[in-house]
Amino acid sequence: MLASVDSCVLVGLEARRVEVQANDGRGDVAFILVGMATTAVKEARERVRSAIRSSQLQFPGKRLTVNLAPADLRKEGSGLDLPIAVATVLAVMHKAPPPRSAFLGELALDGSICHVNGVLVAASWLRKQGYERLFVPAVDAAEAALVEGLEVIPCTNLASVIAHLTRIQSIEPQPLTHPVLDTGVEAAEHDLNEVHGQEEARRALEVAAAGGHHLLLSGPPGAGKTMLARCLPGILPPLELSEALEVAQVRSLLGDLSATKPLDWSRPFRAPHHGVSMAGLIGGGAGVAQPGEISRAHQGVLFLDELAEFQANVLQALRQPLEIGRVAITRSGGSVTYPARFTLVAATNPCPCGWSGDGRRACRCIPAMVDAYQRRLSGPLLDRIDLKVGVRRVPLEALASEPKGESSAPVRERVLAARRRQLDRQGCLNAQLKPSRLRQMAALDAASRQTLERWAEQRGLTARGFHRAWRVARTSADLDASEHIGERHVLEALGYRLNDVAA
Amino acid sequence: MMSLPDVNALHARGRWPPPEGPRVAIVGSRRPSPYGEAVAEQLATDLARAGVMVVSGLALGIDAAAHRGALNGGGITVAVMGTGVDVVYPASNSRLAEEILAGGGALVSQFPDGTIPRRQNFPARNWTMAAISDVVVVVEAGEGSGALITAEAALHLHKEVMAVPGSVFSPLSVGTHGLLRDGAGLVQNARDILAVVGRGGEVLDDPLVPPERLGFALRPERDGIVAHLSDVLALSAADIARKLQLPVSEVLGRLTALELDGAVRRQEAGYVRALRRGKERA
Ligand SMILES: [Zn+2]
Repeated sequence: MLASVDSCVLVGLEARRVEVQANDGRGDVAFILVGMATTAVKEARERVRSAIRSSQLQFPGKRLTVNLAPADLRKEGSGLDLPIAVATVLAVMHKAPPPRSAFLGELALDGSICHVNGVLVAASWLRKQGYERLFVPAVDAAEAALVEGLEVIPCTNLASVIAHLTRIQSIEPQPLTHPVLDTGVEAAEHDLNEVHGQEEARRALEVAAAGGHHLLLSGPPGAGKTMLARCLPGILPPLELSEALEVAQVRSLLGDLSATKPLDWSRPFRAPHHGVSMAGLIGGGAGVAQPGEISRAHQGVLFLDELAEFQANVLQALRQPLEIGRVAITRSGGSVTYPARFTLVAATNPCPCGWSGDGRRACRCIPAMVDAYQRRLSGPLLDRIDLKVGVRRVPLEALASEPKGESSAPVRERVLAARRRQLDRQGCLNAQLKPSRLRQMAALDAASRQTLERWAEQRGLTARGFHRAWRVARTSADLDASEHIGERHVLEALGYRLNDVAA
Repeated sequence: MMSLPDVNALHARGRWPPPEGPRVAIVGSRRPSPYGEAVAEQLATDLARAGVMVVSGLALGIDAAAHRGALNGGGITVAVMGTGVDVVYPASNSRLAEEILAGGGALVSQFPDGTIPRRQNFPARNWTMAAISDVVVVVEAGEGSGALITAEAALHLHKEVMAVPGSVFSPLSVGTHGLLRDGAGLVQNARDILAVVGRGGEVLDDPLVPPERLGFALRPERDGIVAHLSDVLALSAADIARKLQLPVSEVLGRLTALELDGAVRRQEAGYVRALRRGKERA
């Protein structure tokens, strides 16, 4: 007889329904799998056959045909193992699966059910499609149970799943994974009190955190640029539930979620090496594109050290996500869109040798090299960075006498207060204000406007640069708990425009 | 030693060879401190007023300041280029090149028209500069600076080498102080140079105007910050904030205001006091 079981395959953060139809028919002994399955799915036949036999269940004696519908959908991954096996066994047993239920899981040869990537993504999508029950690998159950209104059945092996379906022995559904915020002391990995001196860069970090601005740190090797960047997550607010779920979805796709604690409240921090490929940074790969570093950094921090060493085309590709907070990628397996709203922290040496502008060591670069180096840094990417500060090397012997900085906790309090002001006023962070709303939400008095215009004229600022300085001034005022932007806020904002050259 | 081109057969734009008279080359760092730039410009102005032709290399920094100073003094100035005379490098000095020509000076080069900037051509250009000058004055040269090649060439060619002292804290003084230790003439004002070229009797009304007399209309509350700035060594906003016990955000803002007024200048490592008004730059 024919048995039909529902499952799905993932296309980015979306899914497509797959109906697995198994027919225990007559004819020569054979196991035929039809319906545009990729090689990985075809291998399912061996796993399914072995798993069914190892589980002391009956495998069809003659001809088994499994059809994966719809036929025009490319099916990838090993998550279809479980639904194929269940459909096959039910066909032999002349039984039907429970209504509005779906199955997902990979089989081992002995019938045990193993982890598959993207269970959270599948669970959210299936719930939206009206499914009420989802059978998933037990190791992925906590992840699936983040989705409210879905009964999650944790599956350890095929035999117990069949026992549950035939009402011989039922499996306890997974309780809803309550997204409880960690109340314990959440010690950030790096605290600002470890940074000596560098008051300018610390302040820029605070402004970046408060307004969601991108930041460039420029300074010689050993100035502590990496350390500063790593302190940023610790002064950002913890993720909101909706944000944590978005982060978890990307991690789920990559199989990167903790089985016991699928929801993580800390902001992601990603620091890809400058040799990273386009696919690695932006997303890509064969078939359906996988999320890249920029999506892993979603709602968190993307740190690009030695910015000038990155491939130019890779940096170019950052422009769109920096502008709109997401990235669309087209591959043979279809087009997908991944979220990519992150705070960019870039670090660079001022010149190839790194010592230009250092008081203690002389720069040995020839001017043409410095020009070429700075040209690689300038242009469309740098144009999208609001804050640019110099970081100076503190000589080792002077480190002890440099004042120890304020720790991250009070900085984070100020950042939280400034963010609250922004969200109450305009529903988004200052960095995301469009020019029209900027005029509305961040009015400048005559003196402030005049100062900004004077600078723009002196330095030949583009309209984009003008708006960027304006947004930073708004953030400076918010950190000051000031409703109005004053001239001092505009002046501070202009202080972070390191690369504007006097005309 | 380099083989020198025939000075009269140089490629030239403008008046070449120039009228008779003493010629002084002023060379130095491409990225000088405000102090070095101000000294170079003032020396060139004073020399020009005394009828001395100022020679330099049309590079950024000290070179440009020397040409500009000579033009301000109403003098003739000659740029010895490492490129073809039709290729101004860096391009940002194009206007300055035009002004040199308009002032009756010349752009000269031993390289044919169309020669693009090539690293190996610049040392030869530095030799030529020494060859056409009577005196080479070095203002701010770090270790390995091209200006030191010019000074070395001058020694080989039995020309006078002179140097302007700088701050002992500054890496830009390493080259000039080395020259002074080795016997280069000390330059404290244009008179020191004029004495060497035999124009010691020339009267200068204000050799090397001290910076105070250039005077900025500073708002009183901002004076506090400027007093803490050096004209040679860059200080960061953090340094100043610490000295004045003020929040760094406020100091940064006040420095920016001073920068807008041209009273301070921002460099990679921080802020320096400007000795000239920012607006006067070409
Ligand atoms: Zn360098």
